[in-house]
Amino acid sequence: MNSPGELLLIALGLATPLIFAMLGGYASERGGVINIGLEGMMLSSACVSALVGVAHGPAWGLVAGVTAATALSLLHWLATQIYRIDQVISGMALNAIAAGATNFLNQKFASGASSVVFPELPYQVLAVISVAAVAVVATRTRFGLRLVAVGADPVKARLAGLNPVNIRLLAASATGLFTGLAGNYLVAETGVFTDNMTAGRGYIALAALILAGWRPVPGLIAALIFGFLNALSIKLQGQAVAGVVLPGEFWTSVPYLVTVLAMGGFMARNRTPAGLGKF
Amino acid sequence: MAGEKSEFAFSLRHISKRFGPVLALDDISLTVRRGSIHAVVGENGAGKTTLMRVLYGAISPDSGQIEIDGRAERIPNSAVAISKGVGMVSQHYAVIPELTNLQNLMLGSEPSRWVNPPALKSRAESLATKMSFQFDWDSPSSELSPAGAQKLEILKLLWRNSRILILDEPTAMLSPADGDALFASLITLVAGGATVVLVTHRIPEVMQFCERVTVLRGGKWIAEKTVNDLNPTQLASLIVGDGLPTVEVTTRSTEIQGVPALTATNVSIQGDRGNLAVEGASFELRAGEVVGIAGVDGSGQRELFQALLGVRVLKTGSISLGDTRAEALTSARRIASGLRIIPEDRHEEGVVNEWSLEENSILGLQRLPDFSLRGAIDLKSRRGWTERVADRFATKRGSTKQSMASLSGGNQQRFVVARALESGGTVLLAFQPTRGLDLAASARIFEAFRLATQEGRAVLLVSFDLDELLLHCDRILVMNRGRLTLATTKTREALGDLMVAA
Amino acid sequence: MKWRLVALIAGCLVVLAIAVAVAGKSPAEALSTLLKGSFGTTMARTGTLQEMTPLLFAGIGVFLALRAGLFNIGIEGQFLLGAMTATYAGLRGPGGPFGILLAILAGAAAGALWALPAALIKAYRNGHEVITTIMLNNVAAAFTTWVVAGPGKAVEAGSPTSANLSPSLAIGHIDLGGVSVSYGLLGGFVLVGLVWWWLGRRVSGYEFRVTGANARAARAAGIDVSRNYLQAMLLSGAIGGLGGAIQVLAYEHRFYDSFSPGYGFDSLGVALLAGAQAWILIPAAGLFAVLAKGGTALDIFGVPKGITIMVLGMVILVVAAVRYRREATSE
Repeated sequence: MNSPGELLLIALGLATPLIFAMLGGYASERGGVINIGLEGMMLSSACVSALVGVAHGPAWGLVAGVTAATALSLLHWLATQIYRIDQVISGMALNAIAAGATNFLNQKFASGASSVVFPELPYQVLAVISVAAVAVVATRTRFGLRLVAVGADPVKARLAGLNPVNIRLLAASATGLFTGLAGNYLVAETGVFTDNMTAGRGYIALAALILAGWRPVPGLIAALIFGFLNALSIKLQGQAVAGVVLPGEFWTSVPYLVTVLAMGGFMARNRTPAGLGKF
Repeated sequence: MAGEKSEFAFSLRHISKRFGPVLALDDISLTVRRGSIHAVVGENGAGKTTLMRVLYGAISPDSGQIEIDGRAERIPNSAVAISKGVGMVSQHYAVIPELTNLQNLMLGSEPSRWVNPPALKSRAESLATKMSFQFDWDSPSSELSPAGAQKLEILKLLWRNSRILILDEPTAMLSPADGDALFASLITLVAGGATVVLVTHRIPEVMQFCERVTVLRGGKWIAEKTVNDLNPTQLASLIVGDGLPTVEVTTRSTEIQGVPALTATNVSIQGDRGNLAVEGASFELRAGEVVGIAGVDGSGQRELFQALLGVRVLKTGSISLGDTRAEALTSARRIASGLRIIPEDRHEEGVVNEWSLEENSILGLQRLPDFSLRGAIDLKSRRGWTERVADRFATKRGSTKQSMASLSGGNQQRFVVARALESGGTVLLAFQPTRGLDLAASARIFEAFRLATQEGRAVLLVSFDLDELLLHCDRILVMNRGRLTLATTKTREALGDLMVAA
Repeated sequence: MKWRLVALIAGCLVVLAIAVAVAGKSPAEALSTLLKGSFGTTMARTGTLQEMTPLLFAGIGVFLALRAGLFNIGIEGQFLLGAMTATYAGLRGPGGPFGILLAILAGAAAGALWALPAALIKAYRNGHEVITTIMLNNVAAAFTTWVVAGPGKAVEAGSPTSANLSPSLAIGHIDLGGVSVSYGLLGGFVLVGLVWWWLGRRVSGYEFRVTGANARAARAAGIDVSRNYLQAMLLSGAIGGLGGAIQVLAYEHRFYDSFSPGYGFDSLGVALLAGAQAWILIPAAGLFAVLAKGGTALDIFGVPKGITIMVLGMVILVVAAVRYRREATSE
C-alpha cells in the first residue's frame, strides 16, 4: 500500500459494507423504526451468501444472501410493528439469533471449498450509486416523503391518511436489500464465512448514520471517513507513529474507538427523527 | 337516483363506542344537511371529538352505520375517509413541524409518484389565493404560528377537495381576531357548496355562525335544534344539564397584601428552537392569592413553568421562593422549600402509568420528611397517604395497589391535583389543572385552591380557558409571545386584546 | 394478543426442531444431551453453577441499568476489564482475605471506569448508549488481549496468559452433596438481595426506578435524571467488573486470552427475564447456565453450539413480546 491512491481505494473498499449497511439503517430509522439489528442482518447474508454461493454459484449466493437479510429485516418489522416489542430488544434478539444460526449453518454446511472467487461486481460503484438513489427517493418521490413523514410523526401521518405500518414494511424490504448487499460483499472475494465476521460493522454503520443526522449523503461521507481511518490503521500497523510502534490490537481497535469518540463529540442530537420508536 | 345528490352531506346512525369501562359514545345519531354549518357542542368529555373521529376513520365504532352522500360506507381509516371527501382539522394540529409547508399540504394526497415542486407550488399558490392565505412553501412548518398551522390544515382540506369539513375546537388556540377571520373563510367555503361541522364548547360561536346544533352530554345525544330557535341561556342549560349549581365566583374583591411567596424578576428563557420563549418577565405571587396566566397556547407559559420548577435554565433574571434566591436551586431543593406542581400532561410528566397508585402517590414528594426517614421510604404511612389523596376529590378506584393506567383520565387528574394540594407547601404551580374534568369537578378544585390560599399558600395557574380565569383568579397576567403583562381590566375583551397585541 | 404469543412460541419451536433435524438428531436426544451435559453428574452440576456465576453478575449489572431505562450491552467489556484488573491487582498486591477484597474492588472500579464513556455520553449527550457500549466491548477484547500477550504475560507461559494467582487469593467454596458451590456465587445471591432492597426500600432507589419508567415525570418530580443515568451505568459497570473479578478469584485464578466466551446476549436475556423482580435473576441465570453448559455437550454430540444462542435470542424475543411492548399512545 504505497501510494495515496491505493490507500483511498482500499478505504473505499473498507467503507463499502458500511455504506450499504448505513443505507439499510436509513431506510429503517428514517421511517421511525430503531434498528440495532443491522449486524445480524449483515451476518446472516454473509453466511448464506457464502454457503449458497460456493455450492450453486455466486449469483445464487447473492440472491440467497439478500433473501436471508430481508427475512431478518421483515422479522424485525413484524416484532416491532405488529407485536410492538421494544425495538432495541428486538434488534439485539435478532443479532443473537443470527449469530447462533450462522454458527450452526456454517458448522453443518460449510464444504471447505474456499477458492471460489465471486465475479467483479462493482460493489463500490453500486454503493455510491445507491446513496444517490436513496437520496433521490427521499426527496423527490411520494414514497420518500411519506417515509419521512411517518418517521417524524406517525400519529399525524395517520391523520393525513397514511399507513405507517405498511410504509415501514416497504422500507424494511429496502433494509434487507442493503444489508444483504453488505453481507454479500464481505464474502465476495473468498466465499468463506467465519463466525462473527461482521465484527461490529453493523453497529459502526449505525453510528455513521447517526453522526450524519440520518441523511444518506452525509452518511456516505461518514462511512468513507470510517473506511479511511480503517485503511490508515492497516497501513500504519507495525510502523512507528511518533517514535512508538503501536501494537496490532490498537489498530484493530481504531474503528471502535473512533466511533465512541464521534458519538461523544459530534452527536447531532437535534436531527433524530422525532417519531423514532413511535407508532 | 343516479347522479342525484342527497340532501344530506352525511349521516351517522346509532354510533356507539366503548373504551374499556367508559362508554364514550352511546347510540348517537347525527345527520347534517349539505351546504350548512352544523355545530356539535358539549362539555369536555361529552364525546364530540370521538364522534368526529369516527366519521374521519381515526376510530372504528363498535356499532352503527355511516352514510356519506346517501350511500352507506365503511370507514376503517382516515385514508378512506379522505377519499370519500371527509376532512378534519383536529384540535391539536396535525401539521408535521419537520416538513415544509408544501410537503405538509400535499402529504397523503400527492398527485403522482414523483414530487415536482414547481407544478405543486403553483397549485398550492392558487388555492391559497382563493382563501386569501399566504405561505412560504419551502419553510418548515415548525415556524408557523397556531393560526398559520390552522390555515394550512384548512388549505389541506381544499387540496383534497374535501366536501365535508370537520373543525374540532378551531378557535381554542386562536386570538379573537384570528377566530373571526377563520369564520369568514368558513362562510366562503360553505357558499361554495362545502359542508362544515363545527365542534365547539363556545356558545357565542354557535349562535353567530351555525344553522343547527347537536348537543351531546356524557356520550349521549341530548338534543338537536335550529339555532335561530334558541337563545344562549337555553343552549347553555342544554349543554350543562339540570341541577348543576351556578359556579361560585371565588375571587377576592380586595387586593392581597401578603408576603411574596414567589417572585420573578426580568426573567428571560431560551426555548427549544433557539428562540427566546420568555422575555423580561416579572411578577410577584403573594401568599393567599390565586394568580392566573392567560394567553394563547405556545406563548411561553410552558417554558416559564419549566423554569420555575427548575427543569429549564434561565437565560437572565432571577427567581425567588419567599426570600430565598431560587434560580440556582435544583428542582428537588425547590420542592423541599415548598414548591408544588400540577404538571401539564399527567401521562408524560405527572405519573408513571404502569405503577400503582401507591407508588405514584409520593412522586415529587419522595424526599420530603413526611415520606422518607433517613433515605428509607416510609412504606407504612404511604398506604394511608394514598387513600387520603384518592379521597380528596373522590378519585374512583378499587384499591391503592391498582395501576394508574386503570383509572379513567378524569380520575387520574383528580389524583394528581389532590397529591399536590394535600402535601402542604407554599407555592402551587398548576398547568391546566381542570383538564379533562367536568364543570362540577373543576368547581371543587377551585374551591380547594381557594381554601389553600386561605391557609396562606399561593397558587399560580395557567389556563387556556378565559372564563375559568375570570371566575377564579384574583389577578390575571397575560402572556403574549414571551412577554408578561398584568391585565388591569378583567374582562374577556381586555384579555383578548392583550393576548394578541403586537 | 394471546394467540399471537402462542404463534411466536410455536414458530420458535418449529425452527428449533428443524435445526435439530438438520443436525441429524431427534429433539428428544438433543434435549436429553443438553440436560445430561448440565445436570447429569455432580461434575456437570458444579460446572453449571460455575457457568451461572458470571451470568448472574452480568445479569444483575444489565438488570440495574435496565431499571433506569438504559441498555448496558457493554457488560462484556466491563467484565473483561474487571477480570484483568483483579488478576494484576492480585499478582501485585498482598495475599489473603485483604488481598481478595482489594482485587474485587479493583475489578469493580475497572468495570465502572470502562462504563464511564457510555455513562457520560448518555448523561450529557443522550446518545444511543447501546452502540457506545458495544464498541467498547470490542476495544476491551483487543486491549486485554494485548496486555495478556505482551506486558502482562507470564514469563514462562507458551500462550497469552498471566501468571497464576497465589492460592491465598482463592475464593473458597462449600460442598453440597458433591457439588461445589463457590462463595462467589453465594455473594451473587447476596447482591441480588441488596439490589432488591435498594430499589424497593430506599428513596434513591425509587428515584432510580422513576428515571427508568418515565424520565420526564422524573424531572418534574425533582429527580436529577442525568445523575441517575450516570449512576446507573457506573453501578452497572462496577457489577460487571465485579463479576469478572469473582470469575478470576473463584474459578480461573489467572487471566488469559479469550477469557470470556461472550456474555452480552446472555446477560440481556437474564435481565429481561427478571423484569421488575430482582429475585428472578437467580433462576434466570441458572437457566442460561444450563443452556451454556449443555450447549457444549450438544456441540460434541453433533448439534452445533450456535443453537443454544438461537434459543437465547428466541427467549429474549418471547419475553420481550410479553413484557416489553410499546403500546400506541391513545388520546
